[in-house]
Amino acid sequence: MKDVRTVLIIPVYNEGQVIRKVVTNALKHFTHIVCVNDGSSDNSVDEIKHTKAYLVDHPINMGQGAALQTGIEFARGLPVDYFVTFDADGQHRIADVKQMIKELDRGDIDIVLGSRFLGKAEGITGSKKAVLKLAIAFTNLTTGLHLTDTHNGLRTFNRKVAEEVQMTMSDMSHASEILEIIAQKKYRYKEIPVTIEYTDYSRSKGQSIMNAVNIGFDTLLRKMSK
Amino acid sequence: MRIIIQLVVIIVALGVVIAAIAGKQTHSAKAWKKIALCILSLVMIVAVLFPNSTNVVAHMVGVGRGADLLLYILTLAFIGYVINSYLREQRDREILHKLARRLALYEANIKKKDHKK
Repeated sequence: MKDVRTVLIIPVYNEGQVIRKVVTNALKHFTHIVCVNDGSSDNSVDEIKHTKAYLVDHPINMGQGAALQTGIEFARGLPVDYFVTFDADGQHRIADVKQMIKELDRGDIDIVLGSRFLGKAEGITGSKKAVLKLAIAFTNLTTGLHLTDTHNGLRTFNRKVAEEVQMTMSDMSHASEILEIIAQKKYRYKEIPVTIEYTDYSRSKGQSIMNAVNIGFDTLLRKMSK
Repeated sequence: MRIIIQLVVIIVALGVVIAAIAGKQTHSAKAWKKIALCILSLVMIVAVLFPNSTNVVAHMVGVGRGADLLLYILTLAFIGYVINSYLREQRDREILHKLARRLALYEANIKKKDHKK
């Protein structure tokens, strides 16, 4: 049976090769899917238009965090209870989303976060793992949360969180920012193991290691200027 | 004597960084930036008219050469400028993003009405 009370929010930036397949597959399980095209220069928009997903089209490229915020704001207007942030490159599993929704259904949790390190990260490289571990230590330190994976794109949360969340970091720093918001608003959170399927495609789209420096710098600056 | 200028430079350097990051964009903050710019310009004029004057001041505060003292001042001014413009760039980008988001949502909500079920 199709899930009608959950919306998948998918930020899309130059994912023309895969987005149609990812969305079509997800639509088999979920009625509501919002694709936020973040100023792609490829055929992503046309591919999304071939599906039955909602399309929100940024006029310029603004970064993944900005695309998520736009998607969440659009999704607030849909008749749904749960909100999922989902990557466009096909590295997340629908089965994990369903598991996360089950957790939310129990009603004592506001946001469920996916963790690669509680689960299996297939095909992850050693250097990427090292950088992630460093990022996790850094983020736990700055937010005061205790997480095993702080930069996972798969998150599921209830309407309360969706109505309140206001991200200002437009680029990849939004991952830390969401955690800061969780800490600040004292949301009840839980991590569950999820499997990330690293493919050649998703690896090629992954972040460069040096971007960790940018994220760290922006996070510190943001904390200081608050 | 040397310790004095070292202390002064370090304290001012930290002050510039903190003021640039944490300082609010008040009228007086903007005024101070202009005053600092005027002082810097005046110092430059004096320095070029009386080349030895920078040496004299430098020796007073324990720096070897006037050129070194100027370099310190310039470096501080530059750091302050870089941080200031980086933060302003971020603020401007935030405004632009809000505008673009509003446009994107406006369009999407119009289309939503005839969204294929």
